[in-house]
Amino acid sequence: MKKNRKMLGKDSAIKRILGKREVGILIPLIVVFVVSGLVNPLFFGYQNITNILFQSSFVFIIGIITTYVFILGCMDLSVGSVLGLSGVVTGLALVAGLPVWLSIIFGIMAGGAVGLFNGFIIAKFNIPTLIVTLSTMYIARGLCEFFTRGNPVYPLPANFNILGQGKLMLSESFGIPWPVIFALVLGIIGHIILTQTTFGRAVFAIGGNKETARLSGIKVKRTTMIVYTLSGMAAGMSGILMASRLGSALSNSGMGWELNVIASVIIGGTSMFGGAGSILGSAIGAVLMTTVTNGMAMLKVSVYLQKVVIGVVILIAVGIDQYNRKRSGMKE
Amino acid sequence: MKKILEMKNITKQFHSVTALKDVSIDLYDDEILALVGENGAGKSTLMRILSGSYAANSYDGQIIMNGKKQKFSHTKDAENAGIEMIYQEISLMNDMTVAENIMLGRMPQKRIPGFVDWKKARQIAVEALELVGLDVRPDELVRRLSTSQMQLLSIGKALMRKPKILVLDEPTSALTGKETHTLMTILRDLKSRGISCIYISHKLDEVFALTDRITVLRDGKVINTYTKENLQPDKVIEDMVGRKVENMYPKVHVQMGEEALRVENFTVPSSIPGKNIIDEASFSLKHGEILGIGGLVGAGRSELINAVFGAIKKEKGEVFIDGKPVKINKPTDAIAHKMGLLTEDRRASGYVGTMNLRENISLASFKEISKRGFLNKIKEKKATKVQFDALNVRAPSIETNVLNLSGGNQQKVVLAKWLMSDVHILFLDEPTRGIDVGAKVEIYDIIFELAKKGVAIVMISSELPELLAVCDRFIVLAQGRIRGKFSREEVTEELFMKAATNIL
Repeated sequence: MKKNRKMLGKDSAIKRILGKREVGILIPLIVVFVVSGLVNPLFFGYQNITNILFQSSFVFIIGIITTYVFILGCMDLSVGSVLGLSGVVTGLALVAGLPVWLSIIFGIMAGGAVGLFNGFIIAKFNIPTLIVTLSTMYIARGLCEFFTRGNPVYPLPANFNILGQGKLMLSESFGIPWPVIFALVLGIIGHIILTQTTFGRAVFAIGGNKETARLSGIKVKRTTMIVYTLSGMAAGMSGILMASRLGSALSNSGMGWELNVIASVIIGGTSMFGGAGSILGSAIGAVLMTTVTNGMAMLKVSVYLQKVVIGVVILIAVGIDQYNRKRSGMKE
Repeated sequence: MKKILEMKNITKQFHSVTALKDVSIDLYDDEILALVGENGAGKSTLMRILSGSYAANSYDGQIIMNGKKQKFSHTKDAENAGIEMIYQEISLMNDMTVAENIMLGRMPQKRIPGFVDWKKARQIAVEALELVGLDVRPDELVRRLSTSQMQLLSIGKALMRKPKILVLDEPTSALTGKETHTLMTILRDLKSRGISCIYISHKLDEVFALTDRITVLRDGKVINTYTKENLQPDKVIEDMVGRKVENMYPKVHVQMGEEALRVENFTVPSSIPGKNIIDEASFSLKHGEILGIGGLVGAGRSELINAVFGAIKKEKGEVFIDGKPVKINKPTDAIAHKMGLLTEDRRASGYVGTMNLRENISLASFKEISKRGFLNKIKEKKATKVQFDALNVRAPSIETNVLNLSGGNQQKVVLAKWLMSDVHILFLDEPTRGIDVGAKVEIYDIIFELAKKGVAIVMISSELPELLAVCDRFIVLAQGRIRGKFSREEVTEELFMKAATNIL
């Protein structure tokens, strides 16, 4: 029996954990945590940890699907703008007096529509994904500004604002912010779909070798369109939560976020070349990015240096990944 | 008649493989010499040596031009000596103009250095275009030209460097009949102006019509040289084939069943508008039968089976499976009808390099290993392990990455993918390419085993002895048409090669 397990590729638990790609970036995360915590004990406070997770969730919710996009060997630059657009659509619907649930659906649908458009153009016309999503990045941002004339959309109803501002209270003093809970639930669903379904397997196959996937009967175009639609919807959800958090939908919300999302996913070890990656990695990547910023603030490092450090972290993370690939003999 | 080029005792080795063995050829002034031979006979290698692509220190032997020893360590050296190459794959800058392409790297300059003299450039370009009879504007973008115009342009470009020797490697593969005729006229004209040509082609009818002498290569050796006077087409073919068919392969004969597949009137467009890579091809196949598709490179073999599988678009044609008409427009349709395709290039379209063996083997069998979209990984492991064991894949486990395997074992993994999806009709495009002899025999065994189970198999191979030994029946393609249909009993290599070179 034991031999059989070995033949089926089961290694010991420790080896399996150490062999995971995510371990590489867990180390820098732990280092940042420990150093920050030693210098400033407040770092480990309930307030600060909650805050880090809270801030990470907005990026991570998008990063879940950006992970899919990357594994597919594609790119989505439109997510920052879609975040803004969905917030604005939901905000306008709320101000117009529509019920909260319907406004949220509108917002998510607006995001999904931009995503579907991306996916359709990419699948149908075979234009590089960078260019297609660069265009929709401008289009979606332009629509935001057009709908709002650049003015913030507010006030938003209190029962909507609770989504981004409220907490799930587990005791008198201990609660988890709703965005963290949403991110967690969506992350788990995203992970299960990616690793346990034929759809997830198709995403890996297409990213690894599109032509082989096509000739093996995998629906390449359909899968691409679904992933992009999901990407737009995820950005939409994040945008709605952002509007709720601020109590106001801003036309410039999420500007430049596409780069934060991309950075967090790359730090998480997902390959930009397609065919490899994990949701867990992207979660760690998002938390690491926030922690570096947060930790430096606690260490009283100049705000102006923080981006330098983020840049260095990306390089280190990608460097570790490249090294691991080379060692495991995966050249392409 | 003066010897202008001698290649003497050329021997070239790639690791342990000898590509050329003691090859000597001569070229006289104002003549057209043909180099003919099967795929892999060494023609291209020999020309790469002449062009300096393989540097002088990477082979043994000498190149002598006009009595002077030459050492080409770079393609530039050969060009300076007056040798110009025209390859089958056209290498022009698509987004530059015709004139820019002709003058590439040698733009005429104005008196102020660094500034291009466009007037002069255009003038020279017009000259070049006239020389090859090409009617396009010098400032037309090359992208807008047809493939045949590009081919003529490459020749014009080469002529502008005033070569003494012009080497053409399969220059007519992209040309229509009329354009081929134009090209031949141009080459004869060049000859009268003292430019000698080395002409490489699979199309023996062209070779016989055009050239003054024919040198036959086989297995990296010169077999014979014919002049126009003593030319015997049959002898040339015999020399190209050479080997006696030996029973190197333990052919297993199986009882054939009913008709499994019938393909009617398949026409597949090529990338050149107005030209078909496959023209009205029809064939059929029984359960348990192995049909061999032969022909030389570029005859349309791969295109035919790829089109039947739905991997590339067809213009027209019908497919019948077990006697019933079916619509196959994309690979998904073919797979739904229990077809499988093992492609020519396993790295590009056979396996997924980022995946392990298990994931590669189950790639075409999602239905069998999932329920409502969720993978049943225990089932997947069991089912892929069965194939892994049956095909005797040599790897530590099914969790090993496919890139860590040898070519032969990678090929077994791709085969396992189709076996797992329980194919009834299997297309094999060069199934033993780049595989060592031991693994080849294993692949043949797998093929025979499948035939025994009633799988109908179509096989393409450039290795003629292999094809003849493995298959029950043959069709031979040349220039997109079926030129010969043979049974196992009647086929000979000579017959086969005649059909493939279009002189049957």
